[in-house]
Amino acid sequence: MAEQFAVTYIPGFETGEIPPSPVDRDEKTAFIYSLVDPVWDIDVLPLTYTNSRWSAFFYRADEKRLRRVLPDCLDLEDDIVEHWYVDHRNTMLGPYGEWGLTVAASCKAGDGKTYYGGYYPYMYLTQDSAVDAGRVLGFPKKMAFIRTLEHGGSPDDGYGVYDGKDWKFNHFSFLMIRNGYVIHSAIGKYDDAELSAKPAFYGNTDYGRMNMKVVTAPDLSKSEWALIYLESLVSKDLAGFMGRPDTEGTHRFQVKPESIRTASPENIEWFQQATPFDNLGAEMPVAEMIGLMTFSFDLIIPAGQTLWTETYTRDATWAGAAKPYRYGMRHRFPKPIGLGA
Amino acid sequence: MGQVVDVTSTPWIDSGDAPPLALDRDKRDIISQGIADPLVDYDIVPLTYTNSRWSAFFYRAAEKDLKHILPKCLDLEDDIIEFWYVDHLHTGLGPYGEFGVTVSASHKDGAGKTFKAGYYPYMYLTQDAAVFAGREPFGFPKKIAYIVTLEHGGKDDDGYGGFGNDYFNFTMERRGYLLHTATGRYDDAELPAKPAFYGDPDYGRMNLRLITDPSLKTTKWDLTYLDSKVTAGTAVAMGRPETEGQHRFQLKPESIRTASAGAIRSWALQATPFDNMGAMLPVKELLGLMSFNFDLIIPGADTIWTQTIERTDEDIGDLLFATPYQYTMRQRFPKPPGV
Repeated sequence: MAEQFAVTYIPGFETGEIPPSPVDRDEKTAFIYSLVDPVWDIDVLPLTYTNSRWSAFFYRADEKRLRRVLPDCLDLEDDIVEHWYVDHRNTMLGPYGEWGLTVAASCKAGDGKTYYGGYYPYMYLTQDSAVDAGRVLGFPKKMAFIRTLEHGGSPDDGYGVYDGKDWKFNHFSFLMIRNGYVIHSAIGKYDDAELSAKPAFYGNTDYGRMNMKVVTAPDLSKSEWALIYLESLVSKDLAGFMGRPDTEGTHRFQVKPESIRTASPENIEWFQQATPFDNLGAEMPVAEMIGLMTFSFDLIIPAGQTLWTETYTRDATWAGAAKPYRYGMRHRFPKPIGLGA
Repeated sequence: MGQVVDVTSTPWIDSGDAPPLALDRDKRDIISQGIADPLVDYDIVPLTYTNSRWSAFFYRAAEKDLKHILPKCLDLEDDIIEFWYVDHLHTGLGPYGEFGVTVSASHKDGAGKTFKAGYYPYMYLTQDAAVFAGREPFGFPKKIAYIVTLEHGGKDDDGYGGFGNDYFNFTMERRGYLLHTATGRYDDAELPAKPAFYGDPDYGRMNLRLITDPSLKTTKWDLTYLDSKVTAGTAVAMGRPETEGQHRFQLKPESIRTASAGAIRSWALQATPFDNMGAMLPVKELLGLMSFNFDLIIPGADTIWTQTIERTDEDIGDLLFATPYQYTMRQRFPKPPGV
């Protein structure tokens, strides 16, 4: 007979840090599946981030290309994009790496008000809960292999190397790979130069963030598109929910000015390519590299507001684009063994 | 210094090996976000699988444990569960590893019709597109884990087929914790029992999908149902009308291997701070392992039960379990570099 080993208690449950399963709670508190063991749960909310490290390349892109990746309900506001990596160490979703592209855009809503926001056409992360939590708010997250590295130029003593003391490392390397293909790599050295320009949303509290969420029916008969808006400032409600009324009206994204490093274009070696699985390199080439800005920050992500919706329906003749039981290059890539181990 | 190289060509689109960019197409052909580059695109539909390898442990669980994990719209039909790994080699979503638990359950709808099915309370995969193709439209409760499925040993091979595959090893890890591992050797014994849905085309598959509004004010629960057979609509959509009425899951009988409970050398299943399966579904009686190859098609799903939960501001406040900017053991685990 098999030697059986079973740990049927939940390690750490007695600490109060782990919520009971949703099947043992008021059903109003169940909001993500599976019902018995959600991929993320109420202990993620409110969703805060502490001392994450943001590294943003700024570059000008061709306006017609930028308009192309925007949905019809958005207008382009700026030709400078933010092409950013983040090393998240302390978050309600746990640690993860992230990459995204932010485009300055605006939406004239039905109430006549114009909403400005950084719109995300592309995002990649290294961790499942963070991907799913983002997709609920419409963030277009996929998973990728991501490396963010700052090192060199300032030998350290091994204490607080990445999370405490400011060692002022001088060299950087950023890398993103998916399904075996390199999507992007950039290496270089900080020179702390003044950058010649920044995206329109930098330091402008009129700009929130926007995503296009797509919810498809289980029978594939329709997809609802919803433009989701996240305000840049902490609202009164959010401040109240957090038990921190003093934060009302402060920016959700708190940059630590003392942590800023920059690199001018001549100190950046940049490679980006389209792949059969990811079209970023084809759609968003650099027209003019402006530079890199890296900094540490704290953040809170609130619930979203829906500004615009549209529903596309499919009749019974809609059959997708695949050939049954035939597989092409989009189905051939190295088999991932998952995360961890 | 300061080189910028952008490779913008996409020869696979010109050759027809990849679909046109999403925003160059009819918007009806976009089924997933982001709309500029969907995580799951229409070239996965119809979603087929060829020659995947399924390895299913059967065990009895306590009925009270099984009833505990089922949603209120389902009734339990059997105390034998299927605890399975799959090695997917050729699929519309690419290759991946998968794990799941299937429980026999039924739902009686408002018109008195009873739907029987295997219900999935737990699933883990190794790849993002497969996770979200399952989660978002259909409600499969997929997470990502590190998964190893291995059959080897018992016969030397020369590198060209004919491998010895007598021994097995299955391992699943997530966030630094072992969730499950089992090792052993096939003895091709007759197993004493199987789950109720094995070989019974009355049993489809069911998932519970929860769609929460970005405002958190509502959550819609959908019980989705996949018929076990290829429907006329799916057969026509595939261009294979002769498949109507066939089982969606085509098992290859010649590929079956089994291991009796005694041939399963080791079994470890544990709950972790992130995943409660080990606590919720411990083994009452291990019955054995059955491995086999199969082809599969997954069609669109019907919604057979729904409810919408509405939340007041106070209810939303109740969702905030965490302390802002304070992190606990659930937020501390090894940082994954990604898949």
